[in-house]
Amino acid sequence: MKRLIFSLLTLLGCAAAVAQTTVSGVVTGGAEPLIGVSVQVPGTGSGTITDLDGRYEITVPAGRDTLSFSYIGFTPRLVAIQGRSTIDVNLSEASEVLQQVVVIGYGIQQKDDLTGAVSVVESDQLTDIPTQSLGQSLQGKVSGLQIIPGSGAPGADAIFRIRGIGTLNDANPLFVVDGMILNDISFLNPQDVQSVSVLKDASATAIYGARGANGVIIISTKQGGGEGTINISAYTGTQEVVRTIDVLNATEYATLINEADVNEGRQPRFPNPEQYGEGTDWQDVIFQQAPIYNAQLSFMGGGDRSTFNLSANYYRQEGIIRGSAYDRFTTRLNNSRQVTDWLNVAGNLSLGYNTSDNISTGNILLTALRADPITVPRDENGNFGDASAIGNTGNPLASIFYSNNESQAYRAVGNAYADVSFLENFTFRTNFGLDFNYDRNRDFVPAFRVSASQQNEESDISVFNAYRRNWLWENTLSYANDFGVHHLDGVVGLTYQDNFGEFISGSRERLVGSDPSFYYLNSGDVTTASNSGGVSGGDWGLVSYLGRLNYVYDGRYLVTVSGRVDGSSRFGANNQYGFFPSVGLGWNVSQEEFWNADGLISRLKLRASWGQTGNDRIGDYQYVPRVANGLGAVFGRDPILLPGASLTSLANPDLAWEETTQTDIGVEVGFFNNQLLFEADLYRKVTSGILFQAPIPNYIGANPAVRNVAEVLNRGLDISGTWRAGSDAFRYSLGANASFVHNEVLQLDGNTENFFGGGLGVGGQLGTNSRVGFAAGSFYGYELDGVFQSEEELNQFAQLGNQRVGDLRFRDQNGDGVITAAEDRVVLGSAIPDMILGVNGSVAYSGLELTFDLTGQFGNEVINAKQMARFGAYNYEARFLDRFTEPGSSLTDPRITIAGQNFETLSSRYVEDGSYVRLRNVTLGYRFASDLTDRLRMQSLRVYVSGTNLVTWQEYTGYNPEIYNGSVFDNGIDRGTIYPIARTLTAGLDITF
Amino acid sequence: MQTMKSILTPLCLLLLLATSCTEVLDRTPQGEYTLENFFRTEEQAVQSVNAVYNQLRSWETHVFSFIGMTDIVSDDSDKGSFTSDGFFLEEIDQFTFTPTNVAPASVWSGYYTGIFRANLAIQNLPEVPEIDEQVRTRLRGEARFLRAYFYFNLVRWFGDVPLLLEPFPDNFAIARAPKAEVYALIESDLQAAIEALPASYSGVDVGRATSGAARAMLAKVALTRGNFQQAADLSLAVINSGRYALYPTFAGIFTLEGENSSESVFEVQAAAFEIGGGGTQYNEVQGVRGVPNLGWGFNRPSDDLIAAFEPGDPRRDATILYVGEVLPDGSGIVEGDPNIVGERFNQKAYVSDHPGGNGNGPGNIRVLRYADVLLIAAEALNEIGRPEEALTYLNMVRARARGTSSSVLPDVTTTDQAQLRQAIWRERRVELALEQHRWFDLVRTNRSFEVMKPLRPSFTQNKNELFPIPQTEIDLSEGALVQNPGYN
Repeated sequence: MKRLIFSLLTLLGCAAAVAQTTVSGVVTGGAEPLIGVSVQVPGTGSGTITDLDGRYEITVPAGRDTLSFSYIGFTPRLVAIQGRSTIDVNLSEASEVLQQVVVIGYGIQQKDDLTGAVSVVESDQLTDIPTQSLGQSLQGKVSGLQIIPGSGAPGADAIFRIRGIGTLNDANPLFVVDGMILNDISFLNPQDVQSVSVLKDASATAIYGARGANGVIIISTKQGGGEGTINISAYTGTQEVVRTIDVLNATEYATLINEADVNEGRQPRFPNPEQYGEGTDWQDVIFQQAPIYNAQLSFMGGGDRSTFNLSANYYRQEGIIRGSAYDRFTTRLNNSRQVTDWLNVAGNLSLGYNTSDNISTGNILLTALRADPITVPRDENGNFGDASAIGNTGNPLASIFYSNNESQAYRAVGNAYADVSFLENFTFRTNFGLDFNYDRNRDFVPAFRVSASQQNEESDISVFNAYRRNWLWENTLSYANDFGVHHLDGVVGLTYQDNFGEFISGSRERLVGSDPSFYYLNSGDVTTASNSGGVSGGDWGLVSYLGRLNYVYDGRYLVTVSGRVDGSSRFGANNQYGFFPSVGLGWNVSQEEFWNADGLISRLKLRASWGQTGNDRIGDYQYVPRVANGLGAVFGRDPILLPGASLTSLANPDLAWEETTQTDIGVEVGFFNNQLLFEADLYRKVTSGILFQAPIPNYIGANPAVRNVAEVLNRGLDISGTWRAGSDAFRYSLGANASFVHNEVLQLDGNTENFFGGGLGVGGQLGTNSRVGFAAGSFYGYELDGVFQSEEELNQFAQLGNQRVGDLRFRDQNGDGVITAAEDRVVLGSAIPDMILGVNGSVAYSGLELTFDLTGQFGNEVINAKQMARFGAYNYEARFLDRFTEPGSSLTDPRITIAGQNFETLSSRYVEDGSYVRLRNVTLGYRFASDLTDRLRMQSLRVYVSGTNLVTWQEYTGYNPEIYNGSVFDNGIDRGTIYPIARTLTAGLDITF
Repeated sequence: MQTMKSILTPLCLLLLLATSCTEVLDRTPQGEYTLENFFRTEEQAVQSVNAVYNQLRSWETHVFSFIGMTDIVSDDSDKGSFTSDGFFLEEIDQFTFTPTNVAPASVWSGYYTGIFRANLAIQNLPEVPEIDEQVRTRLRGEARFLRAYFYFNLVRWFGDVPLLLEPFPDNFAIARAPKAEVYALIESDLQAAIEALPASYSGVDVGRATSGAARAMLAKVALTRGNFQQAADLSLAVINSGRYALYPTFAGIFTLEGENSSESVFEVQAAAFEIGGGGTQYNEVQGVRGVPNLGWGFNRPSDDLIAAFEPGDPRRDATILYVGEVLPDGSGIVEGDPNIVGERFNQKAYVSDHPGGNGNGPGNIRVLRYADVLLIAAEALNEIGRPEEALTYLNMVRARARGTSSSVLPDVTTTDQAQLRQAIWRERRVELALEQHRWFDLVRTNRSFEVMKPLRPSFTQNKNELFPIPQTEIDLSEGALVQNPGYN
């Protein structure tokens, strides 16, 4: 290396100083002359600056034909002299985006110098979406990043997916907050966040090795600095469910149940359906208008040698389903101090505490759809209506009323580091991070009776306590230097991470009292006590060696090489270490002399990268066959329970990493002096050796082992563009991003073609099949071909079992005259969208600013599994009114029966389009002019009103087509149990002193 | 990667960092053994076999679907409860089920889980270093008895089934073994169990499989196979062992006092501990639905069963619990659920009030009792032309049933083989009603079509004698499993 550098230096030193020429001209920025622009002949010591009129004159050594112009806030330019003696140059104002210093893994880099696909969202781009979750406020902001609001429950986190789903396991990206590596960021207060870097390609993620395959999200919190400021901000608002589902009213219900009775060969049970009128819509009973509040106080400041940020936040959200609520209190202290010239120390600490009032969401939501509309929520005496009498369900209002389930989470996340600088170009950092959380839950159910099937004979209490700690110790040595036109930087490191957690829980019955002061185990009958405990939240360790080298030649040619070796306790000795390399190349074409940056294209950069990353999230100890306790047997005339133990799962000692190989080609283009910036990345990600507990036949008698069986492809295109224009008084911007993903299972375990999953909740049926050649977790069932209209049609078309007139007619795909599960089911759709879309815009005039966000997704489907059931006396959704009653009455919907294949077999009847476009947020804000704020001794004062999830254009008939169930095999199946999202209106203010 | 480790480890040390590399990576499962350090002691050996017994109490093995596929499917009972409750069992009752029905899948998985645990024990018991040889032999015999029982039910439900004799087969695509092979394993397992097991147990081991249980089970297998001579020999051996006797009262067998009585040949042991862990849902799913709330009201005794009892047979009232009747322990009156028409319950599954709620049922599941053995003997002896002896055993059962009411259930006297066969079959039905034997008896004697067709028009001959292989199993078997006739 030394020799290489030496010879490079020698080369540069050979600049001949023979004949010289002089070049002069004027440098302008827009219409104005620019004063103090640095004008240089690259590779020589020759340089000058422009005068008060923007003029310059420079001597150019012979053999040189290039001038460079650079000025803070403007895009630097290289101009070819080509024999001219006068060269006037117009510099364009640099977009913030291009000047940006981007936080990457174990370092920072100029956006221009990046070879990887990294998108950055700054705090001011996080719009005023009222949420405690950073993820929710990132939806639609970054191409290649899909944000799914996993649930609308108060305090719910969002789900992150970067560039499709490259695993059959946990597809969550890795989170890095101020250098601390974490699996979730629920503790983060979005208002503390300074910037979010989304690392998408392997050049960016390989430095996170075995955990980089799902992408990496690096979050930096606000560090303070500058003069002291005090910021107070607050908002308050109200939420309501975005839409409700059309269900039958009482008269329609009685009519259809009568019809079902007749079709089932029984007497109709409601002699006069009309007498019931409209009845109860149970959704109106469980949903409510719910308030939301947030208040934040922060102090920032620093001096020459230190920075600090101290903030406190309180957030409260009541749920749109009665009985649910979330409260959170967080504080943050970030601090740094340059102790000596060579030593800098810093620390970041977040302390938080939250409380949730929980309800059994799934049960309540589904019951609200299925409870019969004849029963009243409460009768005239205030007693809960017995929905089991007619409809065989519970009363959802009573479920809410008798629920006393509260959970609390305490979390401390922090890190401290010291940077030691030496030999000018070297910095050694040792960083220790800690993530500690403590969760508790208590669940009290009083003794009550609504009906025989909705009652609790004895009051009971369950408590749960768990702690988890995760520490990280990283030691890195970094180097950076410039040698003339050469820039070189690099980092090597050694890190350890260790995670352990444990839970303990217990329960008792027959409490001596029923108010909250008795919600303790000791209040219950000791003879009913039970308890359990063990490892929870992971028992794993990682030892890692990492390194990266960046080389930039003249701002034009970029090379990045990085790699990481990870050793993980999750893998057996046969495969404990994995190596994950990457290489990235970049070319800033517009920095070339031949490029005319005054033309249409003011900026052009090309990137390409290749690399490998891994995924290790498969749970602990999977490589070793573990003996399960608790399989006791009873013996003896005076019976006792003797312990029993056996294997319940198979194990795989050869367990290895999942490996994702990703290739990325990117282009970054600026038009019209970079007013329009455009970025596109084409990528191909193949994940092989995907760890999965591939289902095995039950006759094996044990749960399957996790094996490196599958291979999945994600290829796609991420595009984003921004247009910014205007002056201080009037500005506007428009941004759009789109992500196209093609997901395909390339291989399962070599000989299996089908991978079934996704229980539909009826008849043990599975709704998804991860078939080779199709998207992972594709929906799989019969294609609807119509409804049997007559006996002739019954004879004419193939049947599934014994079907009747009015039953669904499925397509006989292979034309063999019978419908069979083995041969006539086909792929009916997938939960993975072909395209996700985000559009963001803003218009500002004087102090007034209007911003909007649109998000959307296209090409995904939903299985409306809540319409699949053994109905008995459940209420039906309005769609069931379109039933078959006589020939010609319906070609799509079957006759009403209580059960049977019409309602229990997955067919395209239950697969709906999940595409949508949502007006995610509109905010109108006003920033008061300085004459007012000066008088109030404020730096700024802003007020705003904001609406979130205002309008959604969707085909799907359920609450929300974004159905996340936690597993690739299960996503997109709507069992009617996901907490719906809310439409929220808020008003807020923001004051800085 | 081993070389990488050898390079990296010194690197670690070189950097003089306090934490050693390997310490972070060294993890052992917390709170549980692994296969490497298990099967070392006698205690662990016993636990491995206890885990096989554990599976007998499971929902899949002996509760909901099991009852559905033995009683509800037969002429002895209807599904019970309200119509849409547990609808897959209504399909079982009506013979409208398909390969995706939950019930066959449920028992399939329950029984094969038991077989896996038995195979694991059978494979590893010989290697346990610290164990008394007698205990080793006995444990292996117990595991083989239980494996045979699991396969016996499977082969009777499904016909040919995959035959797994070891826990970790190399290839998971395993075709169905012919019935004869399955039976050969069952017979050799039971034969081995007869030799390995003691005739009885004491103390905390009461309830484990005995040589008598293995012999009686083998007699039942022989009867099922039509090996009447062998069935007669084995059942007579059990009878002549003198270890068993009919319980004095018929109704008493099904009380807690009747558990592990002189009549008990093999029972699944269950108990309702205050903290749970020892119960089953066997009692709950068949318990009174409504008032008092004792359960779900499944397995409703059918009209046909009621009609099968001879006039005055006291077993009818001991078998069926009617609405309006006083509960067997006198604790109340059955009111039932007014919304359900014609409720009645399986009284044999009734248990008195017990800790832990209905789902923590304490009732032992009577798998094999002495009356069954007597009737096996009677049936086999009649088939091999020894009707006089057959009558003896048949009439022993009738005499006990008769109790003190001498006017009912007169002794059967016919020695005509066909008539006696019918009499024995009828006796089996009423004596063992709702004890999950009926369906197997119907299929074994080739009567399922003639009996079920008039009651259940959807019954299809040459199809419904066997249950379908669960569709998911076919899907997962990579083509190794072929569906039973008529279910494709």
